[in-house]
Amino acid sequence: MARLDVSIVKRLPGFTLDARWEARENVVALFAPSGAGKTLTLQCLAGLLRPDDGRIVVDDRVFFDARAGVDLSSQSRRIGYVFQGYALFPHLTVADNVGFGLRNRSRAERHARTGAIIARLGLSGLEGRYPRELSGGQRQRVALGRALAIDPALLLLDEPLSALDLPTRVTLRDELRSTLLQCGVPAVLVTHDFAEAYRLGDRIVVYEAGRVIQSAPRSELLWQPASEAVARIMGIRNILHGTVIKASPDRIQLRWRGLTMEAVNSPTQAYLPSSEAPIAFFIRPEYVRLIRKDRGAPDPGHHMNLMSGRVVAEADFGTTVALMIRLDEPGEPAQGEYDLEVEVPRLVYEILEIDRDRHWQLSIHRGSIQVLPA
Amino acid sequence: MTPEATSALALSLRVACLATLLNAVLGIPLAYVLARRRFRGQTLVDLFVTLPLVLPPTVTGYYLIVLLGRRGWLGSPLYAATGWTVAFTWYAAVIAATVMALPLLVRTARAAIESVDRDLERAAYTLGRPEWRTALEVTLPLARNGILAGLVLAFARALGEFGATLMLAGNIPGKTATVPLAIYSAVQTGETGDALLLVGLLTALSCVVLVVAGRLGARAA
Repeated sequence: MARLDVSIVKRLPGFTLDARWEARENVVALFAPSGAGKTLTLQCLAGLLRPDDGRIVVDDRVFFDARAGVDLSSQSRRIGYVFQGYALFPHLTVADNVGFGLRNRSRAERHARTGAIIARLGLSGLEGRYPRELSGGQRQRVALGRALAIDPALLLLDEPLSALDLPTRVTLRDELRSTLLQCGVPAVLVTHDFAEAYRLGDRIVVYEAGRVIQSAPRSELLWQPASEAVARIMGIRNILHGTVIKASPDRIQLRWRGLTMEAVNSPTQAYLPSSEAPIAFFIRPEYVRLIRKDRGAPDPGHHMNLMSGRVVAEADFGTTVALMIRLDEPGEPAQGEYDLEVEVPRLVYEILEIDRDRHWQLSIHRGSIQVLPA
Repeated sequence: MTPEATSALALSLRVACLATLLNAVLGIPLAYVLARRRFRGQTLVDLFVTLPLVLPPTVTGYYLIVLLGRRGWLGSPLYAATGWTVAFTWYAAVIAATVMALPLLVRTARAAIESVDRDLERAAYTLGRPEWRTALEVTLPLARNGILAGLVLAFARALGEFGATLMLAGNIPGKTATVPLAIYSAVQTGETGDALLLVGLLTALSCVVLVVAGRLGARAA
């Protein structure tokens, strides 16, 4: 298992990176919108940029330690770096690109290693091509092969899929996942796409404006964003604000839009806000249930957090349809024109004839209301 | 062609070739350092290299005399030690041409080096290459066309240099009289045939140079 301890302070004109995180997982995804300091972090890890302060430890090797005066050069860190846009040497062939880092090996050894990498990444037959003669997906594989050829202590990937068109991106994402699993090299990858971070990363580190706002195993992050800021960066919808009625270690009762709702408290964070405190929470659109009208009255033991409202707008995403629902409660809707976004599969939309029938009763299981600690 | 014209042509070619060689040796590393390093006094170095481009050539020539003349800062210790001075020799013509051509090469090569994607160099560093090897294996090969275009321009400038050469090397027929100086002498003494021939040759050569540099520049872009 890998061990990564990262603590970096780097002051630049108009921007300060102050990031600290640790990981014991093999693949770490740094996730944030652009300009949050993710690429700077990679450059510091690779020794291309010298932090003003901090400490970088990979497994048992200290790459950088400001206090002890340790700063290994890029050349001696043995880092496999897959650059955004790949940075393949345009004047060298695929084979020479892949073998570029093997200069110190014997010719025979270099040849064997290059051949093995090329075969493993499915690039056989392209050895003599130049980067400009390759497709986007092939370039990504050459960049990955060049980085893996040196048997790196750490693999860094900067937006490894962003240069690709959508179908290739999805294929290569899965391919990259299995390559990362196979080679077993600890990897840090940077992405601004949450699906990519979730699919590839065992741990996700969320950056905002040069700081780490959450670092967690991926499933924990998905269900327990540490704050409203994290939830917003993740692109979570239906982030709402209510008032606490009563909080216990396992339940939180809250008031929202005149309704009394019950949510499960976050089991790891044991968040205990006082009564009448404001509270942020979110409801995933795909976890809101529409109650069928042909099955009799809703059962309070089965249906929780009952409410009713009218579809005021909808957005068709092909396989799913998003319904914007305005509750029957009086007062201003929570999100402009509507209170809740509800996502239903197209089949459900058709069976329930939602295009014709616009007024619905809804229920939300308390486990599907996630509170966001302030 | 008169013997004067022939010797002027031979001298000019020799001077221009040597000056271009010196430009390559001095100018390419200088262009790399200016493009890729940040150091104290960088603006000053840049200014000194570029100055001959805008100064009147006679002024540049004057500074060269102050530096290298028999009583110059470097010239006088040299004279005291060896009894030899560079002024009024054909070496002086080479030095004058080198200094005058250097800004053309450095500016063109620097722009070409700056246009090389820095991630390519970073990639080479992480793959174990020290900076100087990266420069030789990645940066300079990729900036090649721009550098060649700069060398071609430098060669043309060296071939046509007049003012600074006149100041430092004089206009001694058969010794320091390069083609531009020979043209000037020929016009002064009314030998229009020689003047016309040399003018035509220089014009034709300059056209070739411009076309070649243009092609290289286009391929570099």
